[in-house]
Amino acid sequence: MMRITTLLAWGIGAVALLGATPVFAQVDSVRASTLPGRQVAEKAYNAGLASFTARNYPAALTSFNQALAAKPDFAAAYANRAATRLALKEYSAAVADYDQALKLEPSTYAAYFGRGQAREAAGQAPEAEADYSEALKANPAYAPAWYNRGVLRFEHGEYQAAHDDFSGAVKADSTYAYAYHDRASASLRLGNYAAAVPDYSRALALQPTLLPALLNRAAAERRTGQLTEALRDYDAYLTQKTDNALAFSNRGNARFDNKDYAGAVADFTRAITLDAKYAYAWNNRAAAELKLEQYAKANADATEAIRLNAKYAEAYLNRGHAREMLRQADEACQDWRQAAALGLAVGNSYAAAAGCAGQAAEQ
Amino acid sequence: MPDQLRLRLLGLSLFLTVASLANAQSIEFTKEQFKDNRDGLKNAQRELKAGDEAYLADPVRYTLASPHYLAAQELNPDNAELNVKIGDCYLHSGTKALALSYLQHAQTLAPANDPRTHYLLARALHLNAKWAAAIKEYQASTPMGGSKAAAGELTVTAEDLARRIRECRNGQELQKHPARVFVDNAGPEVNSAYSDYGPLVAADEATMLFTSRRPNGPNAPKDPAGDSYFEDIYQSTLLGKKWSPATNLGAPVNSKGHDATVGLAPDGQRLLVYADESGGDLQESNLRGAAWEKPQRLSNRINSKYHESSASYSPDGRYLYFVSDKPEGGRGGHDIYKVELAGNKPAENLGSTINTPYGEEGVFMMPDGKTMYFSSEGHNSMGGYDIFKSVVENGKWSEPENLGWPINTPDDDVFFVTSASGRHGYYSSDRPGGLGSKDIYRITFLGPEKPPMLSEENQLLASRLAPITQTALAPPVILATAKVTILKGTVTDALTKQPLEAIIDLIDNTSSQSIATFHSNATSGKYLVSLPSGTNYGIVVRQDGYLFHSENFDLPADATYAEVVKDIPLKKLEVGVVIVLSNIFFDTGKATLRPESTAELERLQKLLTEQPTIKLEIAGHTDNVGKPAANQDLSQRRAQAVVAYLTQHGIASDRLTAAGYGDTRPVSANTTKLGRQLNRRTEFKVTGK
Repeated sequence: MMRITTLLAWGIGAVALLGATPVFAQVDSVRASTLPGRQVAEKAYNAGLASFTARNYPAALTSFNQALAAKPDFAAAYANRAATRLALKEYSAAVADYDQALKLEPSTYAAYFGRGQAREAAGQAPEAEADYSEALKANPAYAPAWYNRGVLRFEHGEYQAAHDDFSGAVKADSTYAYAYHDRASASLRLGNYAAAVPDYSRALALQPTLLPALLNRAAAERRTGQLTEALRDYDAYLTQKTDNALAFSNRGNARFDNKDYAGAVADFTRAITLDAKYAYAWNNRAAAELKLEQYAKANADATEAIRLNAKYAEAYLNRGHAREMLRQADEACQDWRQAAALGLAVGNSYAAAAGCAGQAAEQ
Repeated sequence: MPDQLRLRLLGLSLFLTVASLANAQSIEFTKEQFKDNRDGLKNAQRELKAGDEAYLADPVRYTLASPHYLAAQELNPDNAELNVKIGDCYLHSGTKALALSYLQHAQTLAPANDPRTHYLLARALHLNAKWAAAIKEYQASTPMGGSKAAAGELTVTAEDLARRIRECRNGQELQKHPARVFVDNAGPEVNSAYSDYGPLVAADEATMLFTSRRPNGPNAPKDPAGDSYFEDIYQSTLLGKKWSPATNLGAPVNSKGHDATVGLAPDGQRLLVYADESGGDLQESNLRGAAWEKPQRLSNRINSKYHESSASYSPDGRYLYFVSDKPEGGRGGHDIYKVELAGNKPAENLGSTINTPYGEEGVFMMPDGKTMYFSSEGHNSMGGYDIFKSVVENGKWSEPENLGWPINTPDDDVFFVTSASGRHGYYSSDRPGGLGSKDIYRITFLGPEKPPMLSEENQLLASRLAPITQTALAPPVILATAKVTILKGTVTDALTKQPLEAIIDLIDNTSSQSIATFHSNATSGKYLVSLPSGTNYGIVVRQDGYLFHSENFDLPADATYAEVVKDIPLKKLEVGVVIVLSNIFFDTGKATLRPESTAELERLQKLLTEQPTIKLEIAGHTDNVGKPAANQDLSQRRAQAVVAYLTQHGIASDRLTAAGYGDTRPVSANTTKLGRQLNRRTEFKVTGK
């Protein structure tokens, strides 16, 4: 705005000057003195933005290149060319452009945020987190920076820090459904199931299409023993999305907790039908079959789970249980020991109690 | 056992009862019924007679009677009396559960509603763990026999019936929560068709000693008190997962009489045995090398003239827990006692927490010195002897805990011992599926239920599941657009059309100040004026010898770039020439001159001053909006307002006339906004020169 105001003021001044000094037969000089310059860089820049908005990234890149060719110190053009390259998954080039933008105009939160995104996409999580932090220093009210940093911290297992970041995001933008959702997930991981449920509810209220919130709220409810509510959420989810093996498997778990073992088997079977490579469903069906005293089936299902994932400790443990009941004592011992070797220490306890020969497996 | 006697009498009584129940459905062993099989009938009658001889003997020889009855049954399975007899024999055999089908068939053939029939059926149902049906039959029965009963008649008291019903209810409860165990028959290497019981297992489970009533040789003598052979002690060793064929321990441990296992010291070096002496006494044999020495009778602090039948050492060997039915200090039936072997104190009854008015048997003390297993007909037994566990803490025994179904059954489950690990237990049980009579079983304790493990994953991060684009872009640049109107064209002589070099004055109508002055090109007559937005411009083109030409451009501040071509023909001063005064403005609907009109009025005044002879008609025009008369009036008044201004500024009034033409002389169509704007105008016309 300042730029355009100056140009206009300058143009009128020129007219006044001409008025004070009459010019004869030089009418073309009037045009030259009052019209603005060609503004090649600016026009190319704006065209680039329009192309970017239309998701025509190659065209946007061409325009930003033109803008920078005409005006090499055009910081905004560097920033937006970086965004374009990010969209084109040219991460290192994007980082280089953001670097240049920040060199020309330091402390620009958008450039820090964009560079964080590029670095995150390039697998440089620590550097990305640092950039998000810089973006927040420049603009603490920028909710996406809080959110993105929270996601990275969540993925690093820093659930409390992630929870705090998601709180920052919802403080900056109280309509940020994803931030409520992920804060609930952080609470879930922190074992604060009671706090998770209302955050998932808030996310759903803000964005009813955010179906994973139903799934995750059900998980939180299941852990607080609210099996009726959990099953209702699973039902609501599966009414809207019928092709998710994970969801069927998780509802099966809730039914298992509710001692509806036949219903659980039906859900696990549905999950297997949807995704025969979903090892969890095989293992979980084995667990339900153990409860139904269908030991041969449990043995077979756990074996399939192990075939799909040779390091599946829970499946070894469950198969050990099945084999014990099938009077295959030695095989049960091997499975329990293997479960222990894969990290389930209780496998060694079972083996010892059953009088299994040999030493406890080392984890 | 007292129960055995009661059942034997029951059988006799039942026979007498059923024999009187001739029924059309029951087929008798008569010539009329078997006309075509006289030989078969004869054989069956012969078998019946042989069976009856054993069945009616005192004591009853059930084992001898049973094969004869079953042979007769092959010819005629539908004789009610025979079915009852077979059922009764089974109730007194090692396969009691088989009695049920015969007794139920007899009821079908010849329904009976007497207390004995109900009781007998109840017993068979009870022994088959048909709890609810058994309770119903017990409830249908009533006490019978008693002190006035005839010899051999069944005696069942009200307390007996109540106890049996309690046992069934215990069974119902216990069966709801089965113990997590495997109960496996020790196999034909250990068990036989005869009673095998009293297992004693070394701490490492490598060796088992047990009692069997199998024949110990081709001409083995039988116990005159019953149908079985004398008890002997046998030994088996564990080979891998199977027991070796049992071998008789032989002399000096085994004698011609009854020799039975009782207990084994934790170190395996001392063996307690039962000898049928002095009403049944306990003896001890020491292992010398690989051979057991001749058993020696334990002291009188343990043995009495009564029946001492079972014992177990404490782990430290200081104490002996034993079972005796001595009445002195007893609580009814066999009780469990504890005695310090090295001391002089008399044996101590373990008290009412452990001992009941019914029998206790088969005591076994665990290596921890605190946990005791024993069998009891009391407590919450589900029938016969059940195995219980009690733990002593500070001299106080815990409430005995029934080991539950399927370890315990409605029949006798006794002589329980465990391995040192506690992983396995061994005991003798009379249950369906055995090799005959009591068999030795191994219990594998599975411990508490091992919870299956579920796996679950969740889609916890919304943006990872459904990524959202959050791009922070730098904003667009606002271009420096030319907010000007370019006015250009050619100035010509209106008559000759020749280009003119004219003076172009740019005036700010608001301030009436001149902004700039330009010239059109002398050769081409072309001009170009840049009018920045935001000003109400008056443009006057003038040249000597010509009347001035006025244009108005009112450009608001947001007016964008535009180019306007306006060719301007300058007119010479001639009578009849009309000039539009584009920069005279009135208030809307009024004839009041606005201040922006000043510059134009001054130009007109100057024209009249410089040309003192000319006369002008000032004409007002409107568009066609509104009534014509009103428009005419307004145009007239506006023309007069201009005349008034000029006369007030020194122009003689006789040089001026005012004419209002209303909407009668349009210069453009009134159908457009622009057209109407052009029609609303003030003109002057030269009327004199």
